[in-house]
Amino acid sequence: MEMIYLIFIIFLGGAVATYLLGKINGVLRDITFLATLIVPAVLFYTQVSIGQTVDFSMSGMNLQWGITDFGYIFAYIVLGLGVLAGIYAVAAMKGKENLGFFYSNYILSIMAMMGILFSRDLVSFFIFWEIMTWSSYLMVVFSGKDVQKVGIKYFIFSAVGAYAMLMAIVTTYSLTGSMMIDSLVTAYPGFDFSMQLLIPILLLIGFGVKSAMMPLHVWASGSYSHAPMAYTAVFSGALSKMGIYGMIIVIVSLVSQIPEGHWFREVIAWLGGITAVGGTLWAVAQDDAKKLLAYSSVAQLGYIIVGVGVGTPLAMLAALFMAVMHGLFKGTLFMAVGAIEKQTGTTNFTEVTGLIRKMPLTFLASLMSIIALAGIPPLGGFIGKWMLYESLVGSDHYMLVIVVFFSSTAAFLYCYKFLFGFFLGQEEPEWAHVKEAPAMMVVPMIIMAIGSFILGVFPGLILNPIDAGLQELGYASTQGRYWEMSMLFNEWGDKVVLQPILYTIIAVFVFFFVFVVAKNFKKTRYVSTKDISSSGEIPKAHENLTFSRGFFQPFLRAVEPLMKHQIDPLYTGFGRGMEAIFDFVRRIYTGNGQTYALYAIIFAVLLLIFKNQLFGL
Amino acid sequence: MVGSPVLLIAIPLLAAFLIPLLGMIWKELVRIIPGLVLAYMMILSASLLYYVLENGPIIEVLAGWRPPIGINLVFSPFTGFLATIMTFLGFIVWLYSYRFKRNVEFEPSKKYFIFLMMLVAGSVGIVLTGDIFNQFVFIEIVGISAYALTAFYTGRNAAEASFKYLLMGSLSASALLIAIAIIYSQLGTLNMADIADNIHLMDPRFKVIAMILFIVGLGIEAEIFPLNGWAPDAYTEAPGPIGAAFAGIVVKAGVYAMVRMVFTLFDVSGAVDFLLIIGLITLIIAETTALRQEQLKRMLAYSSIGQMGLVFVAFGIGTTEGIFAALFLMLNHAIIKPLLFFSGSYLVFNSKDKKISEMNGLGKYMPMTAAFFALGSFAIVGLPPFAGFWSKLSILTAAANEGMLLIIALILMVSVVEIVYYFRVVNRIYFFKFDKVTSVVPHKPRINAVIAMAVLGILILVIGFYPDAVTGVLHQASDDLQNTQQYINNVLSVGQTLTN
Repeated sequence: MEMIYLIFIIFLGGAVATYLLGKINGVLRDITFLATLIVPAVLFYTQVSIGQTVDFSMSGMNLQWGITDFGYIFAYIVLGLGVLAGIYAVAAMKGKENLGFFYSNYILSIMAMMGILFSRDLVSFFIFWEIMTWSSYLMVVFSGKDVQKVGIKYFIFSAVGAYAMLMAIVTTYSLTGSMMIDSLVTAYPGFDFSMQLLIPILLLIGFGVKSAMMPLHVWASGSYSHAPMAYTAVFSGALSKMGIYGMIIVIVSLVSQIPEGHWFREVIAWLGGITAVGGTLWAVAQDDAKKLLAYSSVAQLGYIIVGVGVGTPLAMLAALFMAVMHGLFKGTLFMAVGAIEKQTGTTNFTEVTGLIRKMPLTFLASLMSIIALAGIPPLGGFIGKWMLYESLVGSDHYMLVIVVFFSSTAAFLYCYKFLFGFFLGQEEPEWAHVKEAPAMMVVPMIIMAIGSFILGVFPGLILNPIDAGLQELGYASTQGRYWEMSMLFNEWGDKVVLQPILYTIIAVFVFFFVFVVAKNFKKTRYVSTKDISSSGEIPKAHENLTFSRGFFQPFLRAVEPLMKHQIDPLYTGFGRGMEAIFDFVRRIYTGNGQTYALYAIIFAVLLLIFKNQLFGL
Repeated sequence: MVGSPVLLIAIPLLAAFLIPLLGMIWKELVRIIPGLVLAYMMILSASLLYYVLENGPIIEVLAGWRPPIGINLVFSPFTGFLATIMTFLGFIVWLYSYRFKRNVEFEPSKKYFIFLMMLVAGSVGIVLTGDIFNQFVFIEIVGISAYALTAFYTGRNAAEASFKYLLMGSLSASALLIAIAIIYSQLGTLNMADIADNIHLMDPRFKVIAMILFIVGLGIEAEIFPLNGWAPDAYTEAPGPIGAAFAGIVVKAGVYAMVRMVFTLFDVSGAVDFLLIIGLITLIIAETTALRQEQLKRMLAYSSIGQMGLVFVAFGIGTTEGIFAALFLMLNHAIIKPLLFFSGSYLVFNSKDKKISEMNGLGKYMPMTAAFFALGSFAIVGLPPFAGFWSKLSILTAAANEGMLLIIALILMVSVVEIVYYFRVVNRIYFFKFDKVTSVVPHKPRINAVIAMAVLGILILVIGFYPDAVTGVLHQASDDLQNTQQYINNVLSVGQTLTN
């Protein structure tokens, strides 16, 4: 049997088995769940080679599955994050109800994402896209909070996006007579101009929704923060990347073939820039860690979209690198928030403080991810951002540089808020009982944090596959010398440039470690954070010395004009208006038999009057 | 050949008259005999369909009168396909309602099963007959049993709903009768093939009036807007399985009659486009109305009307692909909507008002029924990998091949509305907290009902994962409807061979 089929059969069977075992035995269920994630991942990396395809036919359409170099990059994100977050989920979700349902949805999501990457034709692409949508929807509503608002909003946006995509797909089918993505790409330059515009726009609506591009992002904050954190790590880290995946195919493979494609790119890049700024500002204003990270995800996806829109080889390299990095560090951060939520029961900065000593490993993972997110060397985020700036400057997008730079500077504010709010500050007696999260939760976080460190120092590990993927998309072959594109890398090669910095950092760490150890040899007096009598003050037990409320008020006041214009109320208003219209339509059905008989007679009379127009006689 | 198509009509009618007598021997026979009859019909019609797909249509001449004069039954891939769906659903409805309210007395259950059988027999008759007056008679048989079944729960609301249905039904009957009279006065024949053969001879003024009367008369049965006012009330007040039978059997017969009239009987060019327009209007109005409904069955009823609108849109595209898509949608709707009615009526079983807002948190207490409802909802809004997706995809590709982009956009927008109202209900069932005061008291479904629902659920999954299981039949059926000349030749040649 073809290995590709086997992978999907394992996923599907595992999803069903997990659900059924959830009714019988918890341990068996957990084992099946993890096996269903790990076995296909192993099979995929060992048995499936790039370019291998399987063909079959369904309902009269020829379908083809196979993985490309380009899809392989995203497969790293999906499977890597999927497995790690899956391990985390087993510990994080322990004791919740309906776990079989949760796990089987989780597996279905991962399967759907792999399916999207495998699909070489539009029908299976759409099928997997929809499976991904509804399985993620079921996760968003899993907690039962604000189901009819947040959940339905997510599904409406997803459905609009998916249906826009479906319209593009059937139009393509009628134009080319084939469902293959490749035949769309080949036939695209020969289409009418109106079709050349319509098809990419419809596809971009679909992909823009999933990648939370302005103005289609309004579902993101609610959905990301309402889904269980174990899933949000995948949701924000991997699932949103599927939008990026599709967007790159549309932008690079389709619209670049026509001269007007330039404008598409500009518009997309600017939408990405606006998304980045808006997401960042709203993230700064949040007091809830989940919401903060949700908006931060929107902002980070904005950077990636900027890179995709600009579309020079370096920008694409940056975008894809950031996509991988974002999966790593945002996944870790959502996991950390999940750990804090599990241990303390809340994710609000204004309530939880001073966890640094109680959850040191979570703190360490968060710290490294925050450093990566903020783009500070030597972690991976820095390299992505640097390449993005360089590509923007190199392609004369100076205004965009300013926008992106503003947003990534403002991002420092929420990065600080996250670290300070949870981990630093005064230790409240209320949280004295808090312990470190279970090992199964901590280990994936630490692995991913280390991963973002390694990618920061040895970016070549992931830049190599990205380079191969870009050639698959039709970029000129760099013959393995892609690192020459950026001044960040030097002639030593792709991996080596940051090693001096690495050695410095290691030296600092070693020094610090020696210092701490040496200091601990002495008799140390441990004091509580409130023991500051040396400063001449003795605060009372309940006196608040730190603040974790109302951060950055001056900054928020300064940017208020920017944040005043929201698009969400417009959508809500539109939705209300539609419901009002529908309610009006409903009144046609009066419930009165006489009225209905009257309708029938009026209908007959109208047909008789307009018979010439209708029936041409 | 395993039997004659006549048996599909004769046996249930005979059984309907025998049941009261048999009931005197043993009361349980009243429940069992209909099941046996419906099962026989299902098997017969399926095996006939299998035969027909291989060997071409069967034209059955009744009472030895040759076709232009006598009544004939046409069991072709198209009609046979519909007859098979109907008999299958009839059996499933019987299975579901076998122990339906066991405490119901002997007398009501006798009526229930007799009328159910007449409903199925009449619908099959509408589909199979090759004679318009005979079709009218079958429409009346279906109508009378449907009125009676609507008023099954004696009460003010049921009686009112039944009366509205009766009112519209008699309008329909009068329109049809006048139309048939006009055609007979002009062409001197009632045989469909003969009419189709000679329709070009008819005076256009009479032709268009006859057609408009047909549209009004059959439109009431096929639930097109604005002739469908009776439908929501009837679906709501009738017992749950009867709602399923209306959606899966009765309406399908109405749609068949309408389509046969437009595609075969008349040669009016604008009629197909008219189907498209009226289908779109029906679709949009019904789906938007469904969004604001408070009662579950009423919502399902409007959704059912909307789906019929979509079927007409697909027929109205006019190409073979469009007809294929329409038949596919009819098949899917005939599987999915009964599942929704079956599971939905168990979900609100103990409720008086049958309101959606009473369904909070039932998923935990009625896991199986709720799962079937969710499966049905996912399938009917066209989410892959369930059955509804393939029919939606085929409608859209058919429309795209004709360049109808605006219509595609409208269908998809309406689909979003559909998603919203179905998911609101699913959300309530699964993700809301069960409330002892406001929620319905859970009711465990009976084993036969579970089997009936499981059969439909499995079919949804099978078609969803392997659409090719049915596409072969659908392709033959759609070719069959498209090819009017062959229909005429088939029927009339039987007449000639008999004469010789």
